[in-house]
Amino acid sequence: MRETYGKRLPEMRVSDLKGKLIVIEGTDGVGRTTQINLLKPWLEEMGHAVLDTGITRSVLAGEGIRRAKERNSLGRVTQTLFYATDFVDRLEKEIVPALRAGFIVLTDRYIYSLIARASVRGADPRWIRSLYSVALRPDVVFYLRLGLEQLIPRVVFSRGFDYWESGRDLFPTLDIYESFCAYQSVLLAEFDRLSSEYRFEIVDATLEENQICAELRAGIMRVLEPEQPARRDPAWPRTDWPQRTRDNFESAFRGAFSAALAHGARTERTSSLRAESSSRNGNGRAAYPK
Amino acid sequence: MDMRPSLRVGPFEVFTPFHPTVSPLYHSNGHFPGRLFIVEGIDGSGKSTQLSLLHRWLESLGYGVVFSEWNSSPLVKDTTKLGKKKKMLTAASFSLVHATDFADRTERSILPLLKAGAIVLCDRYVYTAFARDVARGMDRDWVRDLYGFAVRPTVAFYFRVPLETAIGRLLDGRDGFKFYEAGMDLGLSDDPEESFRLFQGRILAEYEKMVGEFGLTVIDATLPIETQQSEVRAIVQVQLGNESELRFRR
Repeated sequence: MRETYGKRLPEMRVSDLKGKLIVIEGTDGVGRTTQINLLKPWLEEMGHAVLDTGITRSVLAGEGIRRAKERNSLGRVTQTLFYATDFVDRLEKEIVPALRAGFIVLTDRYIYSLIARASVRGADPRWIRSLYSVALRPDVVFYLRLGLEQLIPRVVFSRGFDYWESGRDLFPTLDIYESFCAYQSVLLAEFDRLSSEYRFEIVDATLEENQICAELRAGIMRVLEPEQPARRDPAWPRTDWPQRTRDNFESAFRGAFSAALAHGARTERTSSLRAESSSRNGNGRAAYPK
Repeated sequence: MDMRPSLRVGPFEVFTPFHPTVSPLYHSNGHFPGRLFIVEGIDGSGKSTQLSLLHRWLESLGYGVVFSEWNSSPLVKDTTKLGKKKKMLTAASFSLVHATDFADRTERSILPLLKAGAIVLCDRYVYTAFARDVARGMDRDWVRDLYGFAVRPTVAFYFRVPLETAIGRLLDGRDGFKFYEAGMDLGLSDDPEESFRLFQGRILAEYEKMVGEFGLTVIDATLPIETQQSEVRAIVQVQLGNESELRFRR
C-alpha cells in the first residue's frame, strides 16, 4: 500500500492509489525535461496513461510564484512555503487523482529539490521534513547526477545563468559565475546527502541522451513488473537527522574558493573571505538540539 | 518560561553566508528590542476594536507602533484571492497559503520592525491558523511545526466570548457569511449560518485548548469595552519597562 512520509492530509485516501509515481530529480541543466519528453510517448505506446507534472505548475500558486520571483523579493521562509503550497495543490488535485485512476505519474522534480533548496539556504532539516511529511512516497526516484564541471558548459551554452539557479540571493557579493559555482556545489552536496536518505537511483547524466533513457526505461520496467517488490524508504520518523547543511556548506564554499584561487581569480578578496569563513567555524555555528 | 512546549521544530536560521550569524528566531524570542502584542478570538469577540483602542493609546504616548493584519501580504494576496474565489482551496492548501502570507509578513515587516525597536500589533496571529486549520482537519502537530518560524509574542491576548454572543454581534452588522469564513468547505451544513455556528464552535474549542498550551492572556470579552481596554492597557504597560530599547516617533 502507498504511504506518505509520516502525515496524511485530511480526507486523502491512499489505499486505492494503484498508479505508479515516478520521480525524475536533478539540478538545473541535467536534462530532466528531455528525458521526460522521451519517456512519456514510450509509456503511452505501451498502453499506459501518463500524467506529467512539475514544480510551479499548479493552478493555485504557479502564477503567484512566478510573479514573486520576478520581483526578487521573496524571503526564504516565504519562498519555501509558496513552493509547498504549489506542491500540495498538485498533490491533491493532480497526482492523487491520477494515481487513483491508475495513471503513471512522471514528475519533473519532487519534494527533494525543494528540500535541497531550502536546506542550502539554512532551513532547519527537521522543519522542512515535517513540512513535506504529507508527501506520498514515490515508487522510484531517479537522480540524474552531473558534477559541477560538466554542468557549467550545459548552462552557459543553453539558457545562461539564472538568478535563482545561481543562488544570487545567497551570494550577492560574487559575480554570477562564481555564485553559480558556489551555489551548485553546495546543492550537489545536499543532493548526495538526500540521495542516501531517500534511496535515489543514481543515473550518470554524463552519458549520451539515449543511454540515459535506456537506463531510465530499465528502471521503470522494474517498477512496472508486478513480481518485483517495490522499494521502500527507510523508516519514518527518522532519529538520525542530518546535521545542518551549513556545516557542509562552509566546507563546500571553501572548496569553490580554492578553485577560484587556482584560476588566479580575485585572489585578494577571496582570501579575506576565506579567513572570515574559517574564523566562523569555531563560534559562529548555531547550536541545535539533537 | 517556555510558552510553546509543543513547538518542537525550529525555524529557518537568519543566515547570510558572509556575515556574522544573526541569532535564529527560535532562540531570540524576548531578545528583540521591540514588543509584539497580538489579539486572538473568534469572529465577533471584539478583538479588533480592542486592538485599535490599544493602538491609539500607544501612539498617544509617542511610541512607534506598526499594525499588521492577518492575510494581508501583497505578495501572496492574488493567490489567496484566486483560491477563495474559485473555491479551490482544500484544508491543506488553505493552511499553506495562509502560512505563506504570514511568512512574508514576518520576513518583510514583523521581524525587521521588532529588531528596530518598534511596537508591532497583530490582529490575529499563528493561533488563528492553529485553531482554523485543526478545525478543518489538519494534523495538530504538523500545523504547529509549520509555523515554527514565527516570533513569539510579548503578550497574546485571547478575547473569550460565548459562541451565541459573538454570533449575535455578527448578525447585527452584516447580510451573510462568506464561503470559507463559514467553513462551508467542510460540508457541515448547507445553511451558511448553521455552518458558521458549527465551524466557530470547533474553533472556539481549539482556542480553549491553546490557553494553557501557549499561555494566552484571557480577557473576558463580555465585559464593557472600557473595562476590557483598561485591563489590556495595564498588562501592556508592564511590558513597556526598559523603554530605552523602544523607538519613539518624536
